[in-house]
Amino acid sequence: MPNSANIDEFNQPKFSQAESSQSRLAAVVPQPDMAIVAEGVEVSLSAGQQQLQILKQINWSIRAGDIQLLMGPSGSGKTTLLSVLAGLLTPTVGTVYLLGQNITKMSRSQQARFRRDHIGFIFQDFNLFPALSAIENVETTLNLKGIHRRQSRQQAQALLDQVGLADKGHQLPRQLSGGEKQRVAIARALAGQPQLILADEPTAALDSQSGHAVMELLRQLAKDAGRTVLIVTHDPRIVDVADRIAHLDDGVLQED
Amino acid sequence: MASIARKNLLEDIPRFLVAQIGILFAVSLVTIQTGMQAGFTRSTSKLIDESPADIWVSSPSMEHLGLTLPIPYDRLSQVRRVAGVDRAEAATIRLTVWRRVRVNQVTSITLIGGEPNGLLLPSSKITQGSFSDLRQPYAIVADSASLKTIQIQQLGDTEAIGSLPAKLVGLAKGTQSIVFDNIIFTSLESANAYATSSLTATPIASPPAPKALTPTDPVSFVLVQAQPGEDLASLKQRLESTVPGIRAYTRAEMSSRTQTYWQERSGIGFILGMGAVVGIIVGVVIVGQILYASVSDHIKEFGTLKAMGASDWFIYSVIVEQALWMAILGYVPGMGMCLGVAAWTAATQGITILITPVSAIVVLGTTVLMCVSSAFFAIQKVTRVDPAIVFKA
Ligand SMILES: Nc1ncnc2c1ncn2[C@@H]1O[C@H](COP(=O)(O)OP(=O)(O)O)[C@@H](O)[C@H]1O
Ligand SMILES: [Mg+2]
Repeated sequence: MPNSANIDEFNQPKFSQAESSQSRLAAVVPQPDMAIVAEGVEVSLSAGQQQLQILKQINWSIRAGDIQLLMGPSGSGKTTLLSVLAGLLTPTVGTVYLLGQNITKMSRSQQARFRRDHIGFIFQDFNLFPALSAIENVETTLNLKGIHRRQSRQQAQALLDQVGLADKGHQLPRQLSGGEKQRVAIARALAGQPQLILADEPTAALDSQSGHAVMELLRQLAKDAGRTVLIVTHDPRIVDVADRIAHLDDGVLQED
Repeated sequence: MASIARKNLLEDIPRFLVAQIGILFAVSLVTIQTGMQAGFTRSTSKLIDESPADIWVSSPSMEHLGLTLPIPYDRLSQVRRVAGVDRAEAATIRLTVWRRVRVNQVTSITLIGGEPNGLLLPSSKITQGSFSDLRQPYAIVADSASLKTIQIQQLGDTEAIGSLPAKLVGLAKGTQSIVFDNIIFTSLESANAYATSSLTATPIASPPAPKALTPTDPVSFVLVQAQPGEDLASLKQRLESTVPGIRAYTRAEMSSRTQTYWQERSGIGFILGMGAVVGIIVGVVIVGQILYASVSDHIKEFGTLKAMGASDWFIYSVIVEQALWMAILGYVPGMGMCLGVAAWTAATQGITILITPVSAIVVLGTTVLMCVSSAFFAIQKVTRVDPAIVFKA
């Protein structure tokens, strides 16, 4: 890849940031090579009279650098679990550690800062900003991290090159095909070198060929930089990109 | 950072235009209503503010420039004898009727009698002819803005006031006040003759010249110019204690008394003020509704930003930036339109819509405040958004 040398320069993990927030929160991960750890996570919702238990005693560790798939039928609780792992939803009981930090006990704004610094998201419906061009969508991640315009433009272009959209930067999302949109979303998720990539049904809106191509691309880019990827899906065609697969059934987790 | 606010705003051009027309309307309403109120207020006291008279002497019953009881003419000579008075002149202001004899039509007028080229009729106001020509019997000067209503064509033309002729000898500009009917200037003597002439009699073509005023003839005011360096407050007190049956007002007091009357007692000021308040409320509602709808439309994007780790402040700043763009893009054409309307009404209607640099800045501030406070409603919506909605299809 012609641009890889250039990319690697800013692919260096930002230790200083991680260290400073770690010392503030003083949380210790049980197993240091685990990027994501869920301990006794349960989510219950009260629907009318009934108490609905969506997640049941989830104890799960995802190894750093792995491509981890989470599969399960629709309604099994996959999205709920992903939201809890990302600090977007507070579990009823249990604790989540991300990169050794207890995200569950962080405040809302600390969680937001953690996500900004360490997590890239990929969504089923891409969730691109429709008024922004492809390159501006990618830049948004960088700008949120405080990287200024000139640098962010350069870095975003390099990322678009990597996902094979070198000359589509100025197109609006509505001018792109589904597969292209998801590539922009991948570039946006990878921008700023997050250690964790979380994807919810990333191929659900794509045909099987472009779905597979996009996942292969994600795998390659993540592996090159040693990132941890959690992909939630019920699409059996993408199992071959995974290092590990877990199953969720009616809120109960089973690892292979 | 690429401005999400600006781009979201421009994404749906028709809706954006509707929004901007709404804000433009609100800006115009506020500007024109406040401009009319300011113009109206200034106009009520125009003759006072623009006269070099330092002190106005009147009956104690005086309410404002156009509403007072007469005082006898000999107060003028009494005032002249008071120490510190440099110059004093009598003036009358009364409402009467302009008669167009040949076509049997009438128009109400405000007849102002005074010293030609004096304190109330300074020569600076004249555009054609001169105030000196008012020394001729039954000569008048009209404001250009009145020509259409009194239906007089050119200098030298003659119509009638009461049963006496009125010959146009000059034109004035910028003397018309919104609270007076068409202002007609004449000499004190002619004014006195017009006042006592019969409205039922047929106008006489060549009447005897008007008589000089007797000490008991009624006048409305005595205008005083003080000697240089004279303390006006003490001169005022001296006038009130020396001359019987009068009150004296400095120019500022006379002006504010007249303005206050029209603002408070007439209800006009209140109505115009209400208009401005309604304009602001309409603006807040329109902008608020549009911002709220825009935020609702883009709620998933705000959720995405939250998931990506944007701080609450960043998200508020996007909404506030959007509000500010709406404010600026509504204000500029709105103010442009108002300046056009103001120029047009001043030229054709004799109505002043006063837009000063200060009032333009105040309206800008009001518009910004209006838009930003509407943003508050939209922010309410986005603070409640659950970031987990980003995963929902
Ligand atoms: N906010 C909610 N209120 C009520 N029920 C919910 C809510 N969110 C999710 N659920 C329920 O929880 C279950 C799991 O949902 P979800 O995590 O979206 O499953 P999946 O992503 O595997 O399809 C479903 O039965 C869903 O109806
Ligand atoms: Mg789901």
